[in-house]
Formats: sequence, structure tokens, C-alpha cells
Amino acid sequence: MNDVTRSMDATDAAAAALTAQRRRSRPSGWWGMALLIATEAAFFGTLMSSYFYLRFQVVEWPPPGIEPTPPEGPLLLAAVLVATSVPIFLGSRGARLGRTRAAWAWLALALAVQCFYLAGQIGLFIEDYNKFAPTENAYTSIYFTLVAAHGAHVVVGMLLIAFLVVRITRGGLTNYRLIGVQVVALYLYFVNLIGIPVVLTQLFPSL
Amino acid sequence: MATVAPPPAAQRRLDRLERIWKGPSGLVGWLTTVDHKRIGILYFFTSLTFFALGGLEALLIRTQLMGPNGEIVSPDFFNQLMSMHGITMIFLAVIPMQIGAFGNYLLPLMIGARDMAFPRMNALSYWIFLASGIFIYSSMVGGTAPNAGWFDYVPLASRQYTPGPNIDFYTLGLIFTGIATSATAINFIVTIFKLRAPGMSLNRMPLFCYAILAVSFALVFALPPLTTALTFLELDRALGLHFYDVAFGGDTLLWQHLFWIFGHPEVYVIILPAFGIATAIIPTFSGRKMVAFPLVALAEIAVAFIGFGVWAHHMLAVGLATVTTIYFAAASLIIVIPSAIQLFAWIITIVTGRPRFETPLLWIIGFIVLFVLGGLTGIMFAAIPFDQQLTDTYFVVAHFHYVIFGAAVFPLLGGIYYWFPKVTGRMYSERAGKASFWVTFVGMNLTFFPMHIVGLLGMPRRQYTYQGDLGWNFINLLETLGAYILAIGLLMIVANLVVSYRRGAPAGDDPFGGDTLEWSVSSPPPSYNFPVIPKVSSPYAMWDREDREGDMKRLEQGDVVLEGGHETPSSTLLDADWDEILDMPSQSWAPFLISVTLLGMFTMLLLQHYVVALGFAALTGLVLAAWHCKEPQVA
Repeated sequence: MNDVTRSMDATDAAAAALTAQRRRSRPSGWWGMALLIATEAAFFGTLMSSYFYLRFQVVEWPPPGIEPTPPEGPLLLAAVLVATSVPIFLGSRGARLGRTRAAWAWLALALAVQCFYLAGQIGLFIEDYNKFAPTENAYTSIYFTLVAAHGAHVVVGMLLIAFLVVRITRGGLTNYRLIGVQVVALYLYFVNLIGIPVVLTQLFPSL
Repeated sequence: MATVAPPPAAQRRLDRLERIWKGPSGLVGWLTTVDHKRIGILYFFTSLTFFALGGLEALLIRTQLMGPNGEIVSPDFFNQLMSMHGITMIFLAVIPMQIGAFGNYLLPLMIGARDMAFPRMNALSYWIFLASGIFIYSSMVGGTAPNAGWFDYVPLASRQYTPGPNIDFYTLGLIFTGIATSATAINFIVTIFKLRAPGMSLNRMPLFCYAILAVSFALVFALPPLTTALTFLELDRALGLHFYDVAFGGDTLLWQHLFWIFGHPEVYVIILPAFGIATAIIPTFSGRKMVAFPLVALAEIAVAFIGFGVWAHHMLAVGLATVTTIYFAAASLIIVIPSAIQLFAWIITIVTGRPRFETPLLWIIGFIVLFVLGGLTGIMFAAIPFDQQLTDTYFVVAHFHYVIFGAAVFPLLGGIYYWFPKVTGRMYSERAGKASFWVTFVGMNLTFFPMHIVGLLGMPRRQYTYQGDLGWNFINLLETLGAYILAIGLLMIVANLVVSYRRGAPAGDDPFGGDTLEWSVSSPPPSYNFPVIPKVSSPYAMWDREDREGDMKRLEQGDVVLEGGHETPSSTLLDADWDEILDMPSQSWAPFLISVTLLGMFTMLLLQHYVVALGFAALTGLVLAAWHCKEPQVA
């Protein structure tokens, strides 16, 4: 069994990249994340189903006195968020090829853009909050819960990237961190893409 | 199989493996362990404790209902007792016992792995489970335990009608447990996908593992609706949102839909590991392979899958559209097909084999009888008018206790006997084992069968007491008597095992002629599980004698012993070709610490100190960061 790689030996960037390239199937961490995403997707699916369930209980949606949210801002921000998938992909690819600097730089760029996204999202959230409170009715309750749930997931994704950026800057790539990059990238693809149905649900009355 | 002293070269390898895999001893060892066997044992004793608590609650309920106009407990305490009985048995006792204890201990041994795919996350699951159990039970100290039933319908559970913290313990506690259960489910799936011994392609995997796989997938998709439902309820209660409040455009049935989209798959989550245990015990004691192996494997998965399409049969009496109720009634009937496939496969395997009616098989036969009875009443409920007539009566209580106690707990008890020699290295007493089965079997039927009758007579479930002139008195007395006999039967098991643990005859590696790999290692298994990564060429690996003899030779030659560290092989998904040698993490404080910080966070959420709760969340993040800074390759 000498042809089988030992993850124990993969302590530097080149060796970790070699292990990654020789691996014939996805590593355990990738599967773990894929399943976490499956359960998270079910969570968002339930949230959005609840939105439409509540919507079809009543005649007027949103209820009288509440203006539908103008779609421009949320759509623009969603596009920015989805666009961060590109630097994340490039960072993940860099890591897989053992290019520590590329991995680091692309991830840092993605993080910077996400900061911009988050600031905009918080701004919109406050703007909505000044117009109607979550406690007004079922519409406002599900509206804010849906948007906040997605926002919280973006924040988690950003913290994960920040952690990886720090680890790679300080100690380079190892097998563990390389899998970490691939796994976190997968999570962020999910968070970015689920942003599309979330924003379309959020803007449903004004579309 | 006689134990022969291994040659010196092999002995040196074994010593080396033992040194590498043996964690610290004593209390620190238990708090930091990532060994799936130790975690399984922790799960076992914790869920056993909750099982005892849930049982005590049941006995108090039965004592209260022993005769008419009973006043043993107060009405409010009665509500808490029956709610906590359900919550405890489902979330804190049966599922953790099956998946946490049996799954954890046995699954890596059955697939020839040295640990779970994520050992530290496995420990984390256990500690979170324990912390959430403590969190939920702490409500009893203040007399404010959840009191709206285990499915906690709104509007009764809303702030308006239950102003105290009772329901907040329920919502937050179950979200808390849900984290542990999700992590466990993910861990099992990845372990099964990636850590099977090279050569154990999916068609060579034991049926028990199929059951665990099906259950884990069901949990991955069933828990999010519960989390959503609980989040909505807690937001309604704590912050004044209006998901379930009809006056503000909300809808009470939303809770019921979300809860049962979780709740019905959950029912199959409870029963499938029991099916898995049955498929492990039956071949061993029938001396033959399972009949229709692929059909049984597929049926296990089909049950978990179809379980997602039948939730509204819990709601046939709430006034859904007729077309909806008909769909769900019909879908519920489909479950009969995969269940019957398994049922007939078990029976035919026993009948066409050479059955030895020892204690574990006896429990399985009891299980088959009770499952048929519980299944038959289940089919009755798919008749919509019948359901509408009998919903929320004791007939329902009888049905689901036949299914949960008869069909899920009986195999568990059989499994405890079956694997007791493996875990402790000692044999139980066969005579006392059989006696405990008969007492439990009689007690079980005496407790729950009369509930069918009293339900047909119209006695509602969850009723605090009843008047003496309704004709229910004798039946209720009989049930209470049965409950105490049942308790005696369960205590007989405990007594048998405690005495056997001290004085039982040494069991040897394979006392029953078992069919799966856990019987190939010593009893109790060594900390590294397998001296040599086993060769697998069928789902009955233990019965392939050439492979097992080959393993012994390879140990002498030092072939695939993997003694360089915490090493275990990782395989490709379907064919289990050897792909990589993984270096697994060793003991860690992080899982235990995270359960502590999360306990702090959920307590602060309960007390509505949201800023402090955020602080605890940040602490959790810091511990997580420290966790991931300890990399196996670098340390």
C-alpha cells in the first residue's frame, strides 16, 4: 500500500497540494460541509416555505399600511454577494495548487467585498426597521427573520474566511488548512447562492 | 475461538498501537476523550439516566390515573409530567441511546474503522446533548417544566396562554439538542461514506449500518423544520413577533405543519435503528444470512424517505382540505410496503434458519409481535373517519407506545444483551435474561393493550383525572398494575447486567458466532479497535474465515497495521478503494468547553440577556478557533 498518501506527511504547502491532487475522492471534511449545507438548505427552504404559507393565508400582502420594499438596493447587494464567489473560487484553486500567496490574497479580497456587502445590508435593514417593526404583523415578522437569518449566515462565512486568512498568513498551508479552504469555499458558495432565492422572496410583493 | 498468545513481533505492534491510541485515564480522560467507544458509553449512561427519569414520570402519571378522581399530583404538575415524559423519552432517551450509544460504539467497529470521521465533533455532540438535557431538566427545579405536551401546540404554547418560562425551556432546549443531533447525523454519514475498511463496498456493508445511514439522512433534513418552528415560537414569545398569532395575520396550523414535517420522519428515526439491531441479531441467532439483503437495505432507506411525505396524517382532524387529507392518508398506507418487506424478511430468516432462542433473539421476536400489533393500529388511522373519531384518545397512546416501546425499545433491550459481552467481556445470565424478557413483555402488554379499549370507550389522552361512573376504572387500574410490572422487568435487566458485570463468566471474543466485524476483536475492544485493517469481502465479514485468518498473518508481517500515529484508512465512496491514510485528532478539551459556553448562551437567551448571550457566542467562537489551531499534522 505504498501508493497511498499519508495525510500525516503533508505538512507544507507543496506536500499538501500533492496530497490533494492525488486524492481520488472528496475528503471527509468536504462531505461534512456538504451535509451541513444540505441541512442549512432545508432550513432556508422551510423559512421561505413559511413565508409563502403565511402569504397565502391573507388577501393583502403586505398588509395595508406597509409599502413593498423597493427592489433596487437588495438586488444590487445580492449581485455583489454572488460576485464574491469568484475570488473565493480563485483562492480555493490557488490553495489546491499550493500557491499560498494567491490563496491568501484572493480570500482577503473576497472578505473585503463581503465587508462592503454587509455594511450595505445593515444600512438597508435599519432603513426597513425605521419604516415598520418586526412586531407589527406576520408579514413583518417573517420578513425580518428571513433577512436576518441570511445576514447571520454571511457573518459566519466572513468569520470563517477571516480565520483562514490569519492562519495562512501566519503559518502557510498545511493539509488541514487546505481542506479548510476548500470546505469554507463550499460553504460560501452556498451562502452566496441561497442569497438569490432569499432576496427574491424578500422582494416578492414588489416584483 | 481460542485466544493464542501472538508472536513477539505482533505483540510489539499491538503494544505500540495501544500506546498511541490510549488516551489519558481518569476524569480528564473522560472529559477530553474522542474515542467513539468511550463516547458511546457516556451516551449510554446519560440516556439511561434520562430513560429512568422518563420512566419515573410515567409511573407517576399511571399512579395518578390508577383510580377515578385521583389527586396524587396537582393538575399543573401532571401536565408537566406528561410533557416531560414525552420530551425525555423521544429527545433525551431513545434516540440518543440508539444513535449516540449503539451507533457510536458499534458503527466504526462494524465498518472496520478506528474512529468516527470527526472524532472531536463526536465528543462535541455528546457534551452538547448532555448540556441540553441538563438545561431542559433544570426547568423542573423551579416547577416550570414544559407543560403543553411534547408537540407543544400553539396557541396554548404562546406567551398569552403560558406566560411562565415553561415553553422557553422547551423551545431553546430543543434547538440546543438539535445542534448535537445534526452533528451526530453528519458524522455518521461521513463515517459510513469515507471510513469503511478498504474493500467494504456499499453492497458489503452490514444492514445495521444501512439503518444508521437512513436515520442520519432523515435527521439532516428533518431537524431544520423543527428548528424553524421553535425559532418562530421563541421569537413570538420573547420578542413579540406574530408567526402563530391569528389576530396579526399569523397561523396556528403553521406550527403543526412544521412540527410534523419534523415529527413524522422523527418517528422513523426512532424505529429504524431498532430495525438495524434486529437485522444484526437475527442472522447471528438463526445461523444464516438475512433473506433478501438488498431489499431490506432498500426498504430501510425507503422508510426514511417516505417518512417525509406523510406528516399531515397527524393533522387529519384539524380541518384541512379533503383532498389534502386523502393524499396524506394514502401516502401513509405506502409505508406498509417497505415495513412489510422487512417484516417478512426477518420472519423468513428465522424460520428457514436454525434459530437458537437465546435472550437477544427472544427480544427481537417480542419486537416483531409488538410491531405487527402497533403497525396494524397504525394502518387503522389511515382511515380518515376512524382517525377523526379516535384522535387524541388513549387509542393513539396505545398505538404509539406499541410502536415506540414495543418496536423501538425492545430491540434496544435485546441489543443491550447482545453486545453486553462485547463491551464488558462478561456473559450475562441467560436464565435471568429470559425471565426479564417475559416480565417486561407481560408488563408492556398489560400497560398498553387496555389503552386501546379505554380509548375506544372515549377516554381522552393527557387527561388529569376522570369520574368513577364512566366504566374506565378497572381498565385504568390494570394499566397502572402493568406499568409497575414493566418497571420490575426493566429493573431485572439492570440487576442482571450489574451482577454479570462483576461475576459473569468471561465471554471471549465471539460468544454467539456473530456475523459482523465487532466480534473479530477482543472483548472489550482495544482502544485502536483493529490491530490490522480488516479485509472485507461480504456483509457477513466475521463468517469469512479465510479473511479473518489472513488478518492474523498480516499482523505478524506488519502489513497494513498503520502504527505511525492515530492512523486509519479512508476509502472511496461507493467501491471503498483505498484512497488515503488519515491522521485522526487525539483528545481535546474544546468539545467540553464549547458545551459549557453554549449552555451559558442558551441560559442567557432564556433569561433574555441578549448581549450576554452574544458574549457567550463569541466565547464559543474563540474555543472553536483554538480547536482548529490544533492540527493533527502540526501538533
